[in-house]
Amino acid sequence: MAKDLLWVEKYRPKKIRDVVGNELAKTAFTSWLKDKRRRKKAVLLYGPAGVGKTALVNAASNEFNFTIIEMNASDTRTEKAINKVGKPATSFVALDRFSSESKGNILFLDEVDGVFGQQDRGGIKAIINIVKESLIPVVMAANDTDQKKLRPLKKVCQLIRFQQVRIPLIIHTLRKICAAEGIKPEFEALERIAQNSLGDMRSAINDLQSIAEGKPLLTLQDTMFLTTRNKDIGLYDTLKGVFSAESVPEAAMVLNRSSINFDDFLLSFSDNLPLRYPDPDDLATAYDFLSKADVFRGRVGTENWSLLRYFFHYLAEAATVSPKTFKPFDFIHPPMRIMKLFWTKGKRTKLENICGKIALRCHVSRNTAKTDIVPFLQIMLKKQKSSPIASWLKLEPEDVDYLVTMNKL
Amino acid sequence: MNLNEDAMWVEKYRPKTLDDIVDLTHIVESLKAFLKNPHSMPHLLLAGIPGTGKTTVALCIARELFGENWKSFTLELNASDERGINTVRDRIKDFSRYGRTGFGDAPFSLIILDESDQMTGPAQTALRRIMETSSRTSRFILICNYSNKIIEPIQSRCAIFRFSKLDKKAMVEHLKEIAEKENLRLLDEAAERIVDYSEGDLRHAINALQTTAAYKKGVIDEQTVLQVFGEASPRQVQMMLNKALSGNFVEARKMMYDLIGQYGFSGSEIVRQMQRELIKVPHLTDSQKAELTDIIGEYDYRLTQGANSDIQLSALLAQFSKFRT
Repeated sequence: MAKDLLWVEKYRPKKIRDVVGNELAKTAFTSWLKDKRRRKKAVLLYGPAGVGKTALVNAASNEFNFTIIEMNASDTRTEKAINKVGKPATSFVALDRFSSESKGNILFLDEVDGVFGQQDRGGIKAIINIVKESLIPVVMAANDTDQKKLRPLKKVCQLIRFQQVRIPLIIHTLRKICAAEGIKPEFEALERIAQNSLGDMRSAINDLQSIAEGKPLLTLQDTMFLTTRNKDIGLYDTLKGVFSAESVPEAAMVLNRSSINFDDFLLSFSDNLPLRYPDPDDLATAYDFLSKADVFRGRVGTENWSLLRYFFHYLAEAATVSPKTFKPFDFIHPPMRIMKLFWTKGKRTKLENICGKIALRCHVSRNTAKTDIVPFLQIMLKKQKSSPIASWLKLEPEDVDYLVTMNKL
Repeated sequence: MNLNEDAMWVEKYRPKTLDDIVDLTHIVESLKAFLKNPHSMPHLLLAGIPGTGKTTVALCIARELFGENWKSFTLELNASDERGINTVRDRIKDFSRYGRTGFGDAPFSLIILDESDQMTGPAQTALRRIMETSSRTSRFILICNYSNKIIEPIQSRCAIFRFSKLDKKAMVEHLKEIAEKENLRLLDEAAERIVDYSEGDLRHAINALQTTAAYKKGVIDEQTVLQVFGEASPRQVQMMLNKALSGNFVEARKMMYDLIGQYGFSGSEIVRQMQRELIKVPHLTDSQKAELTDIIGEYDYRLTQGANSDIQLSALLAQFSKFRT
């Protein structure tokens, strides 16, 4: 047997049932694969690193005899490159489908969140196009789906969420590997490795190999060399982390570790504050800290990154105004602002249009038209709908209707 | 005049010549001196609070210079709508060089930049060169609320005129004149009420007058005026304020998002309106209002420093919700 293989490769699951944990995701994925009339042609598997997303896809292809056409972050993924591989792969149904061996191809795009703006220009757009036209199933995997650029992609995919693998399951797997390698482990040692991995199976196996390979015995002593890995934490987990923190340093640590987009985070943080602090005094104090954090976000801008620690500090303060009162709650996500602006876009542009017409006629800016003239105009039009003023302002009948029925400012 | 018969009164009764202008004698006199010899006219900067006649003066100058065809020699831009550097580089630059589209003995073309204090820094810097290089072919009239927001190099290139609050008496007179022309009987108390509420803003006053006229034909009394100002004041802002002051933060914040979403207001506009409405809240004492205004001021300032207006507005509402009356 290949001796110098990485254990993560050596013990990669061969069958779907070998993939440990995430049972819900597994069933969702297999039923999607088996479903001949699937509603969405693509799935996006997302979740933290090392929990078995890629492993599941590989295991499934083994089990169902699919051939995988893969592109991952090591390939350049510009629009051109993606089309070069993806187009032919997805626009023909493979001939060997008719042979008994293989059931066809699937296109597997691993690490789609690593399709980066500059170097991989147009990548996401190309992926979406391929998904729309594809004749074969498209499977994607990503860690962080909160990124803005992935939003359009998420719309065309079925989303399957992966979570951290539970610690006992990791211990169990590690023990099996030890048995296969002929190692006698102390339970405490495996437990420590598993806990240290924070639910990341791959890192647990790597750690195990690094300290146990070639040894007959594994003791707790051996695990002392392990250092905590820096975990990238997404938006959701960051929120959960900071709000349940019991002290400022703890909250600050969560923030430091996370790889969130600060502006999205600020908005979500603000949305969730009222849920966190039912007491108005606490809430006001927390918001005051948040407001200071925002001021520092403004000062950081795009260059003064060294000021970021004050931003973190104030956020941490805001999250821990009264640590004792924490009760779990459902987080609001995505930010309310984005939802609100999305739903009211039509109304807003309508009003902007009308104000543009008024501005032209009355020698004022659109804003002045909105604040100083529209309120009066509304009353006049309500009193007399066919007022000649409307035609002087060149308002269409539907503009008048809109002004009259619009919620009063 | 016939064309304008159905116009908003602010337009219908906008003075056409400098002589018609209300209560700005000293400004009008010095402007007339310039107009005697147009070639010697410098760029102008008109600064002052809204509704005091800055735009009107600018339009009058255009008329006096070019006569009835003034529109073909004048570029009128509202900088708050087009505030970026591209406008300056494209439209303004082109017009300042080739703007004389009409024929005749016009000495130069005129560029009126309304609300120019809303222009971005880079745009102002770009403008400054253009003002210099094109001074043979064009003149600028910059209009702004706060002249300190105009960069110094531009200020030093302009003759500055400051417009202060219009005199109450003159405003009352003016409203009465309009009422007379419209065949309305405007009672004295009613006129004074309108002027009081308008705080020296003649545009606001005339708009209010026209709205009251839509209520009742014939006589305008104090009652109608009160009714109009009650109706026209921003209800949503009032409600948001009341919700916050009664401790219902979540509802208040929802309304804030309505204002942002439906009306497209910016953070500072909402704060400005809140401040305006706060003064009118009946059940607060003067010292409470002062305290709250203090809070508004602090967050208004942070708004200019911060990255995200939603956050500052929410924080402001949270402070209000904590406030016990």
